[in-house]
Amino acid sequence: MSGPLRLDPDGLVACVACGLCLPHCPTYRVTGREIASPRGRIAAMRAVEAGAAPADDAFVRAIDECIQCRGCEAACPSGVPFGHLVEATRAALGPVGPWWRRAAEAVALRLLAPRHTLLVAATWVLLAAQRLRLVPARLGLPRLRAASLRPLDLPAGGSPDAWLFPGCVMDAWMRDTHRAAARVIRATGAVVARPGAGADCCGALHLHTGRIALARRLAARVVRSMPGDAPVVVDSAGCGAVMKDYGRLLGTPEAGAFAARVHDFSEWLATRPPPPVARTGRTVVVQDPCHLRHVQRAHGAVRSVLRDAYEIVETDDDGLCCGAGGLYAATRPALASAVRDRKVAAIGRAAPGAVVASANPGCTMHLRAAGLDVRHPAELLAEVLDG
Amino acid sequence: MDLTPLQEAVASARTVVAVGARTQWRIGEPVAPDAAVVRAPAGVVRHEPADMTVTVGAGTPFGDLDRVLAAAGQECPLDPADPRATVGGVLAAGLSGLRRLRLGPLRDLVLEVRVVLGDGRVVKGGGPTVKNVTGYDLPRLYVGSLGTLGVLAQVTLRCRPRPTVSRWCRAPEPPPAGTRPSAVLWDGERVQVCFEGVRADVDAQCRGLPEIDGPVLPAGAHRGRISVPPGAVRPLAASLAALRGLRWCAQLGVGTVHVATDDVPALVAAREAAHAHGGWLLCEQGAPGLPAFGRPLPNAALMRRVKDAFDPDGKFAPGRLPLAGAPAAGARA
Amino acid sequence: MLGTANATAEPLELALYARDAGVAEGHAVAVCWPATGAQLAAAVRVARAHGRPFVVRGSGTGLAGGATPLGDPVVIVTTRLDRILEVDARSRVAWVEPGVLNLDLSRAVRHLGLHYAPDPSSQQACTIGGNVGTNAGGPHCLAYGVTSAHVLAVEVVLPDGEVALLGGLAPDEPGYDLRGCFVGSEGTMGAATRIAVRLTPDPPEVATMLCAFASVEDAAATVSETIASGVLPAALEMMDAPITRAVEDFVGAGYPRDAQAVLLVEVDGLPAGVAEQAAQVEAIARAHGATAVRTAADEAERALLWKGRKSAFGAIARIAPDYYLHDAVVPRTRLVEVLGEIARIAAAHRLLVMNVFHAGDGNLHPLIVFDGREPGTWQRVRAAGTAILEACLDAGGVLTGEHGVGVEKRDLMPRLFGPDDLDAQARLRDAFDPDGAANPMKVLPRGSRCGELQRVPEGTWI
Repeated sequence: MSGPLRLDPDGLVACVACGLCLPHCPTYRVTGREIASPRGRIAAMRAVEAGAAPADDAFVRAIDECIQCRGCEAACPSGVPFGHLVEATRAALGPVGPWWRRAAEAVALRLLAPRHTLLVAATWVLLAAQRLRLVPARLGLPRLRAASLRPLDLPAGGSPDAWLFPGCVMDAWMRDTHRAAARVIRATGAVVARPGAGADCCGALHLHTGRIALARRLAARVVRSMPGDAPVVVDSAGCGAVMKDYGRLLGTPEAGAFAARVHDFSEWLATRPPPPVARTGRTVVVQDPCHLRHVQRAHGAVRSVLRDAYEIVETDDDGLCCGAGGLYAATRPALASAVRDRKVAAIGRAAPGAVVASANPGCTMHLRAAGLDVRHPAELLAEVLDG
Repeated sequence: MDLTPLQEAVASARTVVAVGARTQWRIGEPVAPDAAVVRAPAGVVRHEPADMTVTVGAGTPFGDLDRVLAAAGQECPLDPADPRATVGGVLAAGLSGLRRLRLGPLRDLVLEVRVVLGDGRVVKGGGPTVKNVTGYDLPRLYVGSLGTLGVLAQVTLRCRPRPTVSRWCRAPEPPPAGTRPSAVLWDGERVQVCFEGVRADVDAQCRGLPEIDGPVLPAGAHRGRISVPPGAVRPLAASLAALRGLRWCAQLGVGTVHVATDDVPALVAAREAAHAHGGWLLCEQGAPGLPAFGRPLPNAALMRRVKDAFDPDGKFAPGRLPLAGAPAAGARA
Repeated sequence: MLGTANATAEPLELALYARDAGVAEGHAVAVCWPATGAQLAAAVRVARAHGRPFVVRGSGTGLAGGATPLGDPVVIVTTRLDRILEVDARSRVAWVEPGVLNLDLSRAVRHLGLHYAPDPSSQQACTIGGNVGTNAGGPHCLAYGVTSAHVLAVEVVLPDGEVALLGGLAPDEPGYDLRGCFVGSEGTMGAATRIAVRLTPDPPEVATMLCAFASVEDAAATVSETIASGVLPAALEMMDAPITRAVEDFVGAGYPRDAQAVLLVEVDGLPAGVAEQAAQVEAIARAHGATAVRTAADEAERALLWKGRKSAFGAIARIAPDYYLHDAVVPRTRLVEVLGEIARIAAAHRLLVMNVFHAGDGNLHPLIVFDGREPGTWQRVRAAGTAILEACLDAGGVLTGEHGVGVEKRDLMPRLFGPDDLDAQARLRDAFDPDGAANPMKVLPRGSRCGELQRVPEGTWI
């Protein structure tokens, strides 16, 4: 009984409309509107799928406004696969939004992300433009540094104890995080390498914007780039979440086996003998990236690896999304910043002025743009490594 | 329980006032003297110890009810000052007892009411179970309605386990956080506190405090009960302390302040203080001629509509509750 | 006053407000989202000026169709009225707007050692305003009382657009308890704009116990005897085997998968009393054949056990896609017998009924699970549901303990109340809302008053 959106009928019918997801939805929290909630979006999908309502502008907006944080999934007692339903709906709808947004997405996702050298080159151009003050501050882009862009001191390929997955944007804009992660990995006695050719991009942003075919091609290249059975360590929560789902995305046993090797940086580190660190007594507020907490459900590891060196402080918002959402902060700035305001307030209540730990580059950039001091757990640990 | 005699008495009279033991007769304005006196039946209809509910005729004296419940190790904390007070009278007056701090107000104890309306019909509201949201909450409406909406004939009440130990002590100051007193009375100098529960907990909370027989409340020819937000008790107390000839005792954490005096002007001054702190002074005893409430009731127009809905002919306790507008006599068939 | 951004008649949005978490569907002509009490009052007046009724709703987690828009009303959503206006820790009172989420309030006062006691299973999502509307309960209402015991005052917009403060912070406001009338009136007496609630001090000591049984009867007998023995637990919840397994799949709290029934019992208070009551409960449970009794070791374990209990309804979708949940109360002395009757009714209708409920106050939640896509199922579900309610009433019970009457149980009201009783209730409602403009066609069945005419729109099904 599949309709125009070709959604999984069992997934769609699983929602019993209990509403327990509502407070965990960032867009519902700031708008208070059913149409900006998981329950409302599912009801809308059902209506469209059943032919009771058209896939009109209102519907497209409802689906497009979803940050895909998947906080609702973790809260859903019925196990509704909301993330997959939204991804499939976006794929059925195709690229949406105003022309400039579709064009920018096409350049970023079709041209740059799959070609890492081109992305790094574009980053140099962007850096130069920043120096010339040609980039408006309201875009919230991080301040790029030439030192960060120097090549990673990591062997490519071989048979390491652990692979460190560099990714696309992260490797172009936040390469220092990789350097820190590599240092910490080495401090545990492991030999670490970066993948050989093909690991340009994990495909997460493509999947979230409904470009499933391209996401599959990128994923297949990533799988091939890291052969063997060494663990694949990922220091970007958004990438890690998708890479752990490659089995479903690609539907092959190889992809399934690869996905089982994927670990978030902290998750992997927590299984290792702890590296020697100095206890600082400094306070760190942990911000849980949605794709670490709700999708990978590996956020506990961040706390266990930081606990030896820092005083961990929790926020009181049940891990509600910060509004970054991959490209979301750029394409839906008003909603994204309203969502962020809540997160910034929650962090302020927890420990005003403290350093924030975030395991995802998107969250990091988004929160830094609000003036917070945000670091990756790997950076926080690298700082305090003994010797 | 046979309510027929009560129904007939109510239906045949032009105006009616339900009477219990008259222990709180001063509450509210005087009722027109020609109102026919009716009494609700007395007696425990059904006590379900394993369900902790009891159904009684509203004319049952509290003491009688309490004896029945005590035999099963239970209680229903209506807590009237005088055990002769009838269950219906206590509920109609609506004034909660001294243990309200821990046990809550009267209105939370009533599960079901059976009420005789002006034409003699019996109306049921609420239900017999301990939890129920079926339909509108008539039981709460009748608590404190001073007999102006009909005659409470039979009620079902929630019971609770009777505490193994119940002890009053005198204390230099209110008990600290972490204790669970049932009552804390304060008269500006000393504190009387009631602890209840299992012996070890009561002993621990009472440690070092002298035990007393029971609470002492202010006495005098003219008595009143002030009701202010609990946070206003201490500032109010400062005002009351300045009044010559006024004795008072506050239920801390509740906002009820019992006042007594031998001269009416002190009661009037206390009432002014209560008003200044966002509250009320209700005359409980004496003070002849002093208005019962002291200022117009809030939402009097809405209350008038409620009154008219249940008592369209103005039959019940005429004069008791000063509401805006005239009774809409004969407005509804 | 609201602005075009905060009101809509866009068909998709209207459709999303056609129902709450119950099954009844209606139709709204417009939806608006006021952000202040004044805007809410203005919305009521605008609706009335256009001859429209109005329905106020919060998160829409109600299960009885209380927020279903009937009579082509304007739906007024309170989700943006979500400010905690004032917390007075000394007097243990908070003033909140109606859209504040129940759990958000408890969280906001946690650092003061206080909490808001009514804790419906949907407490993370439901609003205080909605709780006031339905007089919501929850597991801990066994010892602490339902919503009406915790609401001190309500500022309301009456159906004529006037604003009134019902109740107050003083303990004995003179006159009728209009606050008491309003709480639980399911939106038929007006709309709350500000609510003063009582905050409850956290108990000094809590013991949360999980008791497993080899039969539902043993568990139910334990409940009855616990109450009869004079123990007053803070909460006393029961789950049968299929629910327990579904919940365990979701939370992994260590609920025993092999038990036929489990009781979740919490006692709180001062240390000695807690120890004594916990020991009493354990002894009673063991005397009734409990196969295991486990006490939560710490707050984390306790929280996980409660998360399991409070996720029970949603977790049902792991068993079958649809459920129909009832809410009835029976005297606690009749639990064993009524549960048996419910099982017989389910078998007769070839349906699976599960039980997860507030056993301590006899508040049953028989849950029929099914797949509505199978033809003919809905008819059997409705028939079984009605039979179950009849059985509860026959045992001296009532129609609803905490979900409210809404539209779902409206037409069953005459089973519990006679014509005179319903007439009295209708008169009370009319005193607040003579035109029937506030949440029309709810709570009372048609004909509750002489000459009353109500139109049920086409396509409304209950």
